[in-house]
Amino acid sequence: MSHSSSPPPRSRDASEVSFDFEEQVLDNGLRVVLHEDRAAPIVAVHLMYHVGSKDERTGRKGFAHLFEHLLFQGSEHVAESEHFKFIQNAGGTLNGSTWFDRTNYYETLPSSHLDLALWLESDRMGFFAPGITQEKLDNQRDVVKNERRQAYENRPYGLAFETVLRMAYLEGHPYRHPTIGFMEDLDAATLENVHEFFDSYYGPNNAVLVLAGDFDTKDALRRIDRYFGEIPPRPRPPPVEVRPPALDGERRGTIEDQVHVPRVYLMYHAPSFNAPEFETSDLLSHLLADGKSSRLHHGLIYDKRIAGEVHAFTWPTECAGMFFVVATARPGVSAESLEEAMMEAIAGLGGDGLNEDEVEGARNRARRALVQQLNGIGERADAFAHAAVLRGEPAYVNDAFSRYREVTLEGCAGLAGEIFDDDRLVSLHVVPSPEDSEAE
Amino acid sequence: MSTAGALDRTRPPPSEELRPLELPFFHRFRLDNGLKLLVAENRKLPEVSLRLILEAGAAAERPELGGVAELTGRLLSEGAAGRSALEMAAWLDRLGAAFGASVGYDVANLSMHFLSDVSDGALDYLRAVVREPAFEEEEVARVRQERLDEIERHLDEPAVLADLRLIRTIYGDHPYGRPAGGEPETVARLGAGEVTGFHEDQYLPDGAVLIACGALDPLAFKDAVALRFDDWTGAGGISELPPPSSEAPAGGLLLVDREHSAQAEIRVGRIGMEYGAPDFFPATLANAILGGLFNSRINMNLREDKGWTYGARSSFGFRRSAGPFVVSTAVESAAAAGAFREILAEIRSLVERPPDADELRLAKNALTLSLPRQFETPSLVTRKVATQQIYELPEDYWETYVDRVEAVTPEEIVEAAGSRISAESMTLLAVAAATEVGPMLEDVGDVRVENAESG
Repeated sequence: MSHSSSPPPRSRDASEVSFDFEEQVLDNGLRVVLHEDRAAPIVAVHLMYHVGSKDERTGRKGFAHLFEHLLFQGSEHVAESEHFKFIQNAGGTLNGSTWFDRTNYYETLPSSHLDLALWLESDRMGFFAPGITQEKLDNQRDVVKNERRQAYENRPYGLAFETVLRMAYLEGHPYRHPTIGFMEDLDAATLENVHEFFDSYYGPNNAVLVLAGDFDTKDALRRIDRYFGEIPPRPRPPPVEVRPPALDGERRGTIEDQVHVPRVYLMYHAPSFNAPEFETSDLLSHLLADGKSSRLHHGLIYDKRIAGEVHAFTWPTECAGMFFVVATARPGVSAESLEEAMMEAIAGLGGDGLNEDEVEGARNRARRALVQQLNGIGERADAFAHAAVLRGEPAYVNDAFSRYREVTLEGCAGLAGEIFDDDRLVSLHVVPSPEDSEAE
Repeated sequence: MSTAGALDRTRPPPSEELRPLELPFFHRFRLDNGLKLLVAENRKLPEVSLRLILEAGAAAERPELGGVAELTGRLLSEGAAGRSALEMAAWLDRLGAAFGASVGYDVANLSMHFLSDVSDGALDYLRAVVREPAFEEEEVARVRQERLDEIERHLDEPAVLADLRLIRTIYGDHPYGRPAGGEPETVARLGAGEVTGFHEDQYLPDGAVLIACGALDPLAFKDAVALRFDDWTGAGGISELPPPSSEAPAGGLLLVDREHSAQAEIRVGRIGMEYGAPDFFPATLANAILGGLFNSRINMNLREDKGWTYGARSSFGFRRSAGPFVVSTAVESAAAAGAFREILAEIRSLVERPPDADELRLAKNALTLSLPRQFETPSLVTRKVATQQIYELPEDYWETYVDRVEAVTPEEIVEAAGSRISAESMTLLAVAAATEVGPMLEDVGDVRVENAESG
């Protein structure tokens, strides 16, 4: 093991929240982050692999997520459907998720069962292959196809994001498709693909293991080494190249859906989670749509009364970043006039349109939200894992509080001027299909 | 690796000693006006979670004014204490605090979350919205229209449509047959007079309870609340609805026709039970075995065996009167009939024979060993205590919870399942494309077709 960090200072002042942690790397390359917090007798175990939908090859879109499902189907020493059962039987909660850049597996359970979680996670990292069968693949393929139907196809506006991605990126770009993937690609997945994918991306040297909660750090490290230390590292394919998006003029599109009112999705190419301006970019989303005094609430819902809902958010991607502004029209309002008002509100953030008071409010809201997000050990483990995997620095979890506090009005205005540019814009209108409008 | 040889991977490692859960200690106060205060100190992070529970839910409204409780909750912050709606928004947003009014059938739950350095400002804000909301006609008209738009938008969601049509079918004219937020016909009638009247009658201190947990000093916090709320007077009774008619007929099979559906949204439901019923714990365990957990029978069957769905679950909606019991899932359209048959078969088998020891252990553990998680953060703690208060559960409810669960026998579970979840009393409902699933459902029951748009 190699030792590589010292815990930051601790404080309980509202302006300085900080969580002690220790970082280690096992001989096999598994990076471990340990955050001891003995307040409640529970522990969060979070394993994040540095692989996501961006690593999928052509014709296998959705595979990383399908694979995530398979990892819950047992391994050499864990029978089918036992994984969930063991954790629930211990009073724990568990899940996994797949995104562009990473896939995670996590559970929070009584600290008396820490070894159970380590046993389960190490078994599927080290001994997955013998457990997988064609039958399990076929079953989970059906489950995932139904997930796509339920969460996307049968949901109002459910295909908007994948349409925006297709418009935003050129053919072949790793962010061009959604993690859920496509039916024909899911159908095409084979057992051989499963084994290849596992061998390529699921070695200990491609993962970060975070423990947060009730344990003794030294003792936990010994346990981790016992369960994970013997799993050999495996060569990983070189990371896919994420080219900066082509900023060659705005892209526009319209799709129809079974909905009562139009919704407008605006996406701007923006700083990624790794960029120094990420917090500023995120704060712009608070200024636009967090709270009833925010620009879009005030302008579109209160003053003009043309929108029913407004949202603005950043996607904390590893590479090319995305900033979304989404508004749903009130009945009788066209997508075009809604978009015009959105653009006007967005433009208001640049130049000298902002005032110090609203920026201070946005900083306060962002920091409060951060405290609320991190008050549970499960979310804290997740934050450490993202910081470690995507930024290579778990300490970012602690730095974030001061980074948000230090965002300035000038920084906001400058970044707004830079990213809210027509050449970076993707605009999608989702409108009621003719038969649905007739039903009005 | 020096220790690898000693590791036996063939069986799960045994549990170590379980550290006992220490529930947060709540200081209890009562102001002269009857307002109850429950305050717990937790200085882990510089945050405070606060909930004010008021007897101002939908159960307190007259049927012809359905939705007035919800609308009142939304309007509290739209102008108050001499400040306009925009000034109120700017005030809250500058504090960085979060405020929400969640109005259900039973109560109104005003919740706040803020950093402890703005506690005084947050309490000032709370006083303004609770004691001095303006309810100006213009703002009432605006928020009412927002609400009507929202009701219409939500009907685009097949899951929302399914839930609404189900409760209407199983509860008929009982208030639980309508959404807690009201229906367009009654919401459209509401004006400043109705909202002001509801607020005057229901937003009263005697009977209300304020719960707080976080980085605060309990005594100082009590004084800070008293300073702002001691001029508030009035007592409200507990708003409780009559029990739903046990005569309500099983609703047969309702098919809500939604053209171009990519799936069938499925519900199987009936009138369930109230919080604190004598067989509450056996019924809760019966549900955990049937559909309350990932490993429950219905999900293992429909998802992990058949692959028909992303997930299937069941739940009781526990309220002061008998809320619904509902099995919910969304399945590929071709599996709609099969899903109904399998769900009913699982319900029958639960009633026919006691769960085996492993199943019962899993269900009990999932309820009891999860308690430390459920009390982890200030927001979770105030939510748990709110439940105990709203349903007038014993003061030591959470302290004795584990023992109550452990005491349940397999026979009691079968009995509770028989009286609370029997297959014969169920209403079946699907939101799906009728042309696609209509014919196959004829083998399941007598199909009644409704349109997704009408009604």
